[in-house]
Amino acid sequence: MKPVRFDYKRPTTIEEACGLLASDDNARILAGGQSLIPMLSMRLSRPSLLIDIAHIPELTAFVETETHIEIGTMVRQAVAQKSKLVKTHIPLLAKALGHVGHPPTRARGTVGGSVAHADPSAEIALVAATLGAEITYRVDGADEIFDASNFFIGPMLTIAPPTGCLTQLSFAKAPAVCGTGFHEVAPRKSDYALASAAAQINFAAGSGVTSIHLGIGSVGDFPERLDVDQLCGTPLDDAAIADAIHAAMQVVETVEDLHATAAYRKRVATELAIRALRDARDEISKDLNQ
Amino acid sequence: MTEQKYKFLSTPRRPVEDRRFVAGRGKFIADFDRPNMLHVAPLASHYAAAAINGIDASAALAMPGVVDVITGAELAAAVQPLMNGLNTPNVRRFPLAVDRVRYAGEWVCAVVAESRALAEDALEKIIVDATPQPFILDAETALLDTSAPVHPEHGSNLLLDRKFVWGPVDDDFDAAAYSLSFSVTWGRNSTVPIETFGVLAEWNGWDQMLDIWASIQMPKYADQIARSLDLPGNAIRVHYDVDVGGSYGVKRGIKHSVLVGYIARKLGCPVRLIEDRLENMRAGDAHGPERKFDITIAFDQDGTVRSMKMRALDNAGAYAGRAPFQLGKPISAIVGPYQINSVAYHALSVTTNKTVQEAVRGFGQAPTNYAIETAMDRVAEYLGMDRLALRQKNLIRKDQFPYLIPSGSYYDSGDYHAVIDKVLTAADYPAMLAERDRLRDAGMMAGIGIAACLEPSGGNSSFEPLLNQSNQTSTWMESCQVNIDALGMVTARIHTTSSGQGHETLVSTILGEVMQIDPELIRITRPNSLESLPGNSPVGSRMAIMLGGAAARAGEKLKAKIMAIAVHRLGVAIDQLRYEGGDVLANDGRRFTWDEMVELAHRQYHNLPDGMDPGLASFDIMQVPTGDALPVDHKVQMYPCYSFEFHLLLVSFDPIIGRPDIHSYVIGHDCGTVINPAIVSGMTYGGIAHGIGAALFEEFAYDTNGQLLTQSFLDYLMPSSHEVPAIQIVKHCTPSPHTVFGQKGSGESGYLGAPAAVSGAINDAVSGLGIHFEKLPIRMSTISDAIAAKTS
Repeated sequence: MKPVRFDYKRPTTIEEACGLLASDDNARILAGGQSLIPMLSMRLSRPSLLIDIAHIPELTAFVETETHIEIGTMVRQAVAQKSKLVKTHIPLLAKALGHVGHPPTRARGTVGGSVAHADPSAEIALVAATLGAEITYRVDGADEIFDASNFFIGPMLTIAPPTGCLTQLSFAKAPAVCGTGFHEVAPRKSDYALASAAAQINFAAGSGVTSIHLGIGSVGDFPERLDVDQLCGTPLDDAAIADAIHAAMQVVETVEDLHATAAYRKRVATELAIRALRDARDEISKDLNQ
Repeated sequence: MTEQKYKFLSTPRRPVEDRRFVAGRGKFIADFDRPNMLHVAPLASHYAAAAINGIDASAALAMPGVVDVITGAELAAAVQPLMNGLNTPNVRRFPLAVDRVRYAGEWVCAVVAESRALAEDALEKIIVDATPQPFILDAETALLDTSAPVHPEHGSNLLLDRKFVWGPVDDDFDAAAYSLSFSVTWGRNSTVPIETFGVLAEWNGWDQMLDIWASIQMPKYADQIARSLDLPGNAIRVHYDVDVGGSYGVKRGIKHSVLVGYIARKLGCPVRLIEDRLENMRAGDAHGPERKFDITIAFDQDGTVRSMKMRALDNAGAYAGRAPFQLGKPISAIVGPYQINSVAYHALSVTTNKTVQEAVRGFGQAPTNYAIETAMDRVAEYLGMDRLALRQKNLIRKDQFPYLIPSGSYYDSGDYHAVIDKVLTAADYPAMLAERDRLRDAGMMAGIGIAACLEPSGGNSSFEPLLNQSNQTSTWMESCQVNIDALGMVTARIHTTSSGQGHETLVSTILGEVMQIDPELIRITRPNSLESLPGNSPVGSRMAIMLGGAAARAGEKLKAKIMAIAVHRLGVAIDQLRYEGGDVLANDGRRFTWDEMVELAHRQYHNLPDGMDPGLASFDIMQVPTGDALPVDHKVQMYPCYSFEFHLLLVSFDPIIGRPDIHSYVIGHDCGTVINPAIVSGMTYGGIAHGIGAALFEEFAYDTNGQLLTQSFLDYLMPSSHEVPAIQIVKHCTPSPHTVFGQKGSGESGYLGAPAAVSGAINDAVSGLGIHFEKLPIRMSTISDAIAAKTS
């Protein structure tokens, strides 16, 4: 379990990183390394050049704008988990972060690295896809922005440009009244999930529920949004939630492995989606009743 | 309640080894480095079975830093096959595959290079010309006449096929009101230590000596290396001062050791091989039993279990290893803690194209206990009887010891009913039942698990002559040497490595107790194998009994000498003297001090009794208590001591999610007199954690192509601190009559009953649905799918 020989560079600017990336077809970016390093050791990943972006100051930025929270790609998961900005404005991400790996892996693992790696069971990717976060890549000196809800196309596969460097994730701030729910199931605490679900209901005084975001992870080859828009404007009772989710799950393709059958994944994802959405609804009810 | 009989024994004392381990100052195999040391990386077979037509290593050999590439053909011409203990001379096993590979991951050849990384680079340049062949993964399939043997020269896949009938099985079945049959399967798992196996060999041609440092836990290790390498026994020097980072049976890298021994000799350089995790899991040849049980059990309306027929079919993997013998140890406790009058036992071991087995904690006892306890649950279910009451009815009673079981072993002592009563009280069993029902009312699946079982300990390896009549083993001795130096300090030597058992604590505590000296002042050393007395390493829960016994006896011999010197010095009869804290006191008030005694023994020969040798040293080579005979009529006394454990736990899970949550876990444990409470508790906690792993998570699973799916901790799931609940240990002490202090073994405690208990709890939870989970591990997906199939 020794990596194939590789060169190692540690740029200090995004431009330098992008230049290195363009210089070698077989270069890979190293962020927190919690997935890549084991893959290197098992020789599943065999880059000739490893570009460590941990020393680029811009990439650890954490910016609040009028409408969004922008998280630099190298922000450690543990930092994001503790962030007040995340807690206040991206409550769904705050809930999900506690499920990402373990405290030691969160101390090294990064928000952007997880999204770029695109593991089908990754929690951050699921939240980004569910909320339609904006994913920014620097390509040929310009920023290119992707919608996270159609960014993931397969296991460890995205539509990211091969020579681009992921620089930040941008999440729309949640409205003042909103509800979220996040559930996942794994054989052991913090294992790769067998099924996961994320839900956020946005609410506006006067107009009621303005949007429902619901996504499931770990079930197929990538995190997927479930379309339950028909629930907007309804009282969101348990039966309606269950019906909508069962209907939406009909078309979801599931994978099977040693740890769980496809039937299990589908059954449990359905249940977790129901629970997540109910949690979100109940949070709003609680908010409104206070 | 415990009377303060001992000064150091059974008292809460911190294990002496803990200090260096906690401080990070242990010395493990990876800490051993030699000048000009070379490194080895083995090439793993991609195929589950294939003929090797040729190996082209020229490109690898041309790489800078690559020193040599060793093939199976080269090795087979130079070394003897590895020993297997059975009469299967045509099941030949070498460290590297010869002519054909028999499992995916098997070592095809080995690169020797200046670093491990270079060796791995070179592996990728080796071209193996191989023709894939049919393979067998399933044990029942391997038994069929139509299945090609994994070893064609052997003629079949059968390694062992023995039928035993102990007692009037047919009569008991005829007399019983009912019988029922079922099958259960123990999945292939193992102990998977954090430290993988590693070995370093260095050949000195001028001394004709092969020095070995290894992460080893193995009886007769040096002998086996010598035999394979055709070297005299005293040309192998195994260094025992290597800390072993976990084992519980599996650290027996004999193939690795023969390989690096051969290379070290061939190249004249020190050579080290440390398995990486992939090698450890797929080709460390250290998987545990994979066993299918077919059980038929005969019983009466009142719950009396009369007789049992057990067929145990074990999937040994590609070579014999120790696997078949792991069907032998359970014979010594084949009726568990119950009064079952007769047993028919059919033990089968077959070769398949899977990784080779090695000894694993309990040596086959945990799977058998799982089968027996499942039988008890099934009988209770059949009769509509309470599972606990059924067990209490059939348990051997306190007044029946020593109790002779049908297969020929006497259980030494025990009070099973008392242990169970203590556990029921400690667990507040009625409250546990109420909590189960409350959880069920709340929509959860909830169940209680119960398991009672034995830990045979301190044995003689008598399963070897029992299963192989040409094997005449009737001793499995252990030794200890003690010396009092000229300054009066005590040093004891133990002749093995340790893998966490705390042998230094064991020996210093026992010697301290015998000699009445503070154990902190006693030094323990580990000489190399050439400076050692015979021993059999820590296997079969034996060291408290055997090493502890030898240490006590060596200490008593020294005390006898001290008393003889005192008699001579003080001029009084021995019955006028008493030994106290190292001094000898006469009834007349005179005191012959330790320092005077040391001065006499070391410097004043003229003051010693006539004919007495000078110095203060002793040793003891101890024979296994009760283990003095070969089997007669297919019966034998296999172990002197039988520890008892009783498990009780509450589990619940959501019917859709199916993820078991263990609410409370109580174990009653009786291993006789405890030497060091912290060590015994640690063994028990770890054993239960391991058992939870076997029940729910851990499996070396193969796909239909014979590829191991669980090659790292990504997929081979071991329970973490999140999955292991707080465990309450309820202690009880029934001393053994056969050991110096009444101690019994505890090295396998917890693991022997936990899988049965956890399985029982999950089966209790789904009992209302008519579901039986009949294979371990029971995955959450399996649970949820089964419930969905019943309820949809």
